[in-house]
Amino acid sequence: MSDYLWILFVVLYIVLAPFIGGMIAGIDRKITARMQGRYGPPLLQPFYDVLKLMQKENIVVNKHQKLYVLCSLIFIIVAGAIFFAGGDLLLSIFALALASIFLVIAAYSTYSPYAYLGAERELIQIMAYEPMVILTIVGMYIATGSFSVTDIGAYEGLLVLKLPAMFVGFVYILTIKIRKSPFDISMSHHAHQEIVRGLTTEFSGKELAYIEISHWYENVMLLGLVYLFFASNPILAVLVLVATYFLEILIDNVNSRLKWQSVLFSTWLVAFVLGIANIAVLGFLKYFL
Amino acid sequence: MGKRTVVPFGPQHPVLPEPIHLDLVLEDEKVVEAIPSIGFVHRGLEKLVEKRDYQEMAYVSERICGICSFVHGHGYCETLEGLFQVEVPDRAKFLRIMWGELSRMHSHLLWLGLMADAFGFESLFMQAWRLREKILDIFEQTTGGRIIHSVCKVGGLWRDVPEDMLKKIVETLEGMEGELQELANVFLKDYTVQKRTQGLGKMSAEEAFECGAMGPMLRGSGVAMDMRGLGQSGYEHLKFDPVVEQGGDCYARTNVRIREVFQSIDLIKQAIGLMPEGSIENKVKGSPEGECLVRMEQPRGQVIYYAKANGTRHLERFRVRTPTFANIMPLLNMLPGCDLADVPILVLTIDPCISCTER
Amino acid sequence: MGLGVMGKTVMRNLFGKPATVMYPVVKKEFYPTTRGSILYDESTCNYCTLCAKRCPSQAITVDRAEKVWRIDRKRCLTCNFCISVCNKDSLSCVQEYAAPVVKEFDSWLFQAERIAGEKIEGLEGQEGFSDKDA
Repeated sequence: MSDYLWILFVVLYIVLAPFIGGMIAGIDRKITARMQGRYGPPLLQPFYDVLKLMQKENIVVNKHQKLYVLCSLIFIIVAGAIFFAGGDLLLSIFALALASIFLVIAAYSTYSPYAYLGAERELIQIMAYEPMVILTIVGMYIATGSFSVTDIGAYEGLLVLKLPAMFVGFVYILTIKIRKSPFDISMSHHAHQEIVRGLTTEFSGKELAYIEISHWYENVMLLGLVYLFFASNPILAVLVLVATYFLEILIDNVNSRLKWQSVLFSTWLVAFVLGIANIAVLGFLKYFL
Repeated sequence: MGKRTVVPFGPQHPVLPEPIHLDLVLEDEKVVEAIPSIGFVHRGLEKLVEKRDYQEMAYVSERICGICSFVHGHGYCETLEGLFQVEVPDRAKFLRIMWGELSRMHSHLLWLGLMADAFGFESLFMQAWRLREKILDIFEQTTGGRIIHSVCKVGGLWRDVPEDMLKKIVETLEGMEGELQELANVFLKDYTVQKRTQGLGKMSAEEAFECGAMGPMLRGSGVAMDMRGLGQSGYEHLKFDPVVEQGGDCYARTNVRIREVFQSIDLIKQAIGLMPEGSIENKVKGSPEGECLVRMEQPRGQVIYYAKANGTRHLERFRVRTPTFANIMPLLNMLPGCDLADVPILVLTIDPCISCTER
Repeated sequence: MGLGVMGKTVMRNLFGKPATVMYPVVKKEFYPTTRGSILYDESTCNYCTLCAKRCPSQAITVDRAEKVWRIDRKRCLTCNFCISVCNKDSLSCVQEYAAPVVKEFDSWLFQAERIAGEKIEGLEGQEGFSDKDA
């Protein structure tokens, strides 16, 4: 990537990602509603929600909540910026993990029993999906020889042909990251559950708006990661993105929510079986043939 | 040894249909103890007998609860008919059975929707309530209201149902059976639903009987007790067996309620087939005197009505013992030892109708 | 975790018509038996006050001397008891119930013509309000 092109990509990401993420969220709600037999909200509803939340009164439990939520938002933007600037993939993923931890600390700092339970479950969620994400990055390194997003994106040939099992595993944990059933144990987007609103129980007003916007940034970045698997053929990649998201919505609507023990177990099983098998096969092919 | 926290569950909670308060003592997401408190919806309806005479009290009685409203009205009228010692004509009895079974169907479908919502499966919740709308439409076409029917009076009924309407009811119910079967398949055969309900809240037959469980709670543990088998108010002409399952856990109770929906369709078809012509009312004059006790089968279990009168137009005492009140004890026995994620499912498996419990 | 069991229903819903109704833009169809509101016929009433005594929620007030009949629509349950006790048949049932209120709370709010800015057939000229505050 030329010396100044990456600045353009970063700026585009920071400015456009909320709009793209919001539109994806709006389409998601509309399709979910039609699957359930209702009309559904207008497509721009997430934007109306965030704008209204910005005008609401902030009932703050603890002065430090705001700081932690802002840190979480900033680090998600940083993670996405590193990713779209073509930087180091490992650094980007760890910045994302840092942002999730900030959100968990924000929930813990409120002393509410429901937020506390939601924060514990969010930590278990992080523990569940991190192995798979790291195995994916390792697989990409073995396949292309580099951790940098620019090099992986410029790889000739479809990356998914070398990492098929990895792709399946990654889509499996994508369900956890975008908070959909059966894995939405800590904070579901639309269901109400036994821990009231889970992680975001004690947030209101501008903070809740920031959390919503940070989810949009995160979704765009994750979809970018899925795009990397098909980077050499952009049209195919976009089609795969649409199909994957539709599959996630379908899975959300045909499953109930599992308990955290099932989530942790099944995700680690998938990560270790699919991820390690794929890496073992790739490594064998590269170093012995 | 984890730290113990106390989580207040209710009275306002998105997963509860009605306000009940449980203080859950948790140790790392496992419930150790549960302390209930009820009384948030107490309206003093039983004291209202002093102000409303026995005919108007029928309207108050059916407003005790929105879900089981027909059975309350029916039970009140039967109790007063016992006091007056007047017999209701046969056509009225069969029509009351028909409406009672329709009420049971709509209550169980409502419960199935809430159960799906409790384990995070909203599309199933919407589907169950979509089917329930057809029954509410039948209610509106025959009685005039979707939830509050106002159709039972002391001595008979206010409204009759014409023949073509009865045929239409049978057609609608037969059309519903296919979709009901699909709904039942999702509840009983889907993997994630099975993981959430099987093995949860197990109660053996003796335990259920000892702590006073009623209705599907009891029948899901293998005890065949159904108040419709007492042979009164017209049920003696119908052929049916109580629906019993042996599992004793939440899965078995879900199965009992689903099978009861199908059984109700069958009972309605039998009742409409046997419906005689005739009047729907036996006029009642004067004031009641004496005491009377009536037991009936609500969708949630056995309900007992007691009325005492002393010769004036106002009753002296009217008491209702609802099944949810009896089912709270099994709930408190089932809660210790489960995860926090199971608490909504356990609370919903007793089918809590708290507005019945505290009138 | 199969898609099969619920998947069929979900896909059928996705490509079919929604089950809900866009109320209040689309009006609900009422059945002939729906209990909506009470209709009062002044010409046949003889002010015997039986309906006022019998109403379970005390929504009807009748002044025999002044020959005035009033109903508080906020308290009326449409149980139709008043219709059954009236021996002059001056009361009957109308299918439409009061539309959702969009104006500020005002004492003349529940006069029939002013409900949601629309006239309801048959309820014109009715006394629809109560001067007792609810």
